[in-house]
Amino acid sequence: MRAGHIDRVKRRALRQAVTDNVETIRGLPPRGVRAGVRLGRLWLRRVSLIVVPLTLAGSTFLLSKPVVEPMFVVQRAVPRKPGAPVTQQQLMAYEKVDPAALPLSVHRVVIDAGHGGTDPGATLPDLSEKAVTLDIASRLGKLLQQSGFEVITTRADDHLIPLRERAHIANASASDIFVSIHVNSIVDHTNEHGVETYYLGPTRDAKLTRLAAEENRESGYSLGDMRKLLDGIYADARRDESQRLAATVQAQLYGGLRNADPGLQNWGVKRAPFLVLVATEMPAILAEVGCISNEKEVAMLHKPEYRDRIAHALFDGIRAYAIEKR
Amino acid sequence: MVDSEVLHVGIDLGTSRSAISASNGERFVVDSFVGWPVDMVAKKVLKRSVMIGHEAVANRTMLDLHRPLERGLLKEGSDKDVEAVRELLRHLLRLVGVDGNNTSNVRAVVGVPAAALRTNKQYLRNTMKGIVDSLMIVSEPFAVAYGLDALLHTMIIDIGAGTTDFCVMKGRYPTEEDQRTLTIAGDSIDGHLLKIITERYPQANITIFMVRDWKEKHSFVGNPPEKVVVTAPVNGVPTQLDITSEMRAACETLLPPTIETMLDLLSRVEPEFQERVRNNIILSGGGGLIRGLAEALKDALKQVGGGKVKYMNDPVFVGSDGGLALALDAPDSDWEKLSQ
Repeated sequence: MRAGHIDRVKRRALRQAVTDNVETIRGLPPRGVRAGVRLGRLWLRRVSLIVVPLTLAGSTFLLSKPVVEPMFVVQRAVPRKPGAPVTQQQLMAYEKVDPAALPLSVHRVVIDAGHGGTDPGATLPDLSEKAVTLDIASRLGKLLQQSGFEVITTRADDHLIPLRERAHIANASASDIFVSIHVNSIVDHTNEHGVETYYLGPTRDAKLTRLAAEENRESGYSLGDMRKLLDGIYADARRDESQRLAATVQAQLYGGLRNADPGLQNWGVKRAPFLVLVATEMPAILAEVGCISNEKEVAMLHKPEYRDRIAHALFDGIRAYAIEKR
Repeated sequence: MVDSEVLHVGIDLGTSRSAISASNGERFVVDSFVGWPVDMVAKKVLKRSVMIGHEAVANRTMLDLHRPLERGLLKEGSDKDVEAVRELLRHLLRLVGVDGNNTSNVRAVVGVPAAALRTNKQYLRNTMKGIVDSLMIVSEPFAVAYGLDALLHTMIIDIGAGTTDFCVMKGRYPTEEDQRTLTIAGDSIDGHLLKIITERYPQANITIFMVRDWKEKHSFVGNPPEKVVVTAPVNGVPTQLDITSEMRAACETLLPPTIETMLDLLSRVEPEFQERVRNNIILSGGGGLIRGLAEALKDALKQVGGGKVKYMNDPVFVGSDGGLALALDAPDSDWEKLSQ
């Protein structure tokens, strides 16, 4: 009897392992929890039938009143005060939306040029991360607009926008995806340079934790907010979509740049707790598009044509993801 | 295809060591190092165009040495590392009797870290094209659990060189929520050990290879089972160094994250099954050989009601044996779907 039970369990697990491999071969995205997932998804689909009309009704009602930030009201069924911190309750509310239940295409993209103003990011005497990211963001924005995307930028000039405000801009615009642009600096390994793309998730890698701490410096969040936001990292339903977006962008980023820079390394898709990714409510990624600590790369980043190539690579990644979502 | 012509293999492709178990009864383990002679002189001396495993490490001064796996995954973006992993796989298959020119009847199950992404698996699949006929890639702790018939209410802690993988088996193929991967593993212990020995004996000339060797012979946590005394050149003179406290300190860096992750995963198990999982914790991988580790984990379980940690006698092959069991159990129809 016991042996028979073990055999049944083994057969089922083996079948699931084969299915997982077949899905990998077909390039399908990973599934969430398998056991009980059908019931969960059925429930979510049913719930979406109720939630969507309620959202629309709520939006119509709110739009009929004068509001300061109309885009903000359009986005959500239960609006919160502009500028108020994102609460755990609000984060949890978004966790319950299964992307498979509402297969939406990508129309509106938030481009976030990292750092700015008094926060220059990684800096050299003649080059700063904030300037590079702003230039690439501007080029990427134009490319996206030319292709029919609606573009929201978190900053258009050299001003410091706290991470909290960036997330607020993204959330209030009801955008479909969020792409944050940064440039790496690896002072311990100046001979290395590569590209990598992050999505939100916990990490035990000390280097990534340091990097996230560095990028989270000018967050504008209080310690109390931070605690709630960090709790949200472990229970984020957007993870699968963000991971898919990150994988698509990373593939294009590396593929698009390696010909121009044969020494470029592909550091892959990684998880890290960047706060700007925690507080945004849409699939969100942070792309480290180069290394300011590498002399060869600095020379290239100085060239407008290389920055243009980076913008094109990011654009190709976003477009590929959007096509996949159609 | 006649079954007798087919060779099934399970491969544990590890950052430090790779093991293979084959359906013809052969089992081998090799160091995951591949090296090519740096110049014509080296080629003439070594009389080989490529060296693999321990041989490569021993002749490293004459070789362009590659360790193609990092944190249990194939390093992406380096053609040389891709070629190195292909050489390593061909070598493993040759050891179990596969003719290098005819791999058309080889069905392989390869274990990868629990946190490997689909892109990582796809990359490995592409790399293995032409080396095996059909390929199934599974999470390494799943392969271990499958081989041990431990698929229900069990936790596998697989401590390798690059990663420490945790997996709670719930009678199904594990999902992301059932698994965790830490990058604190054998390599990080080596790095820490080298650092603290060098701090204590700044005149000693020590390499990471020596440290790795010492760790494999003397690793422990808790009370020292014996004094750890090793020999290394100090100012060119072979000298005995007592590294007992350094060995303990380095090995114990594994404990806090391992205990925290183990308890965290346990807390996520349905309450009625927690006790059964607590009493079925299995240590595998090379890290399972660290003396006192099972006892330290068992001590940590006392704070949540106690439990048992089993130590595998054959931790090096437990993953490849599990892979082989999977390969043998998968029907032909499944293998056809997984054809390369």
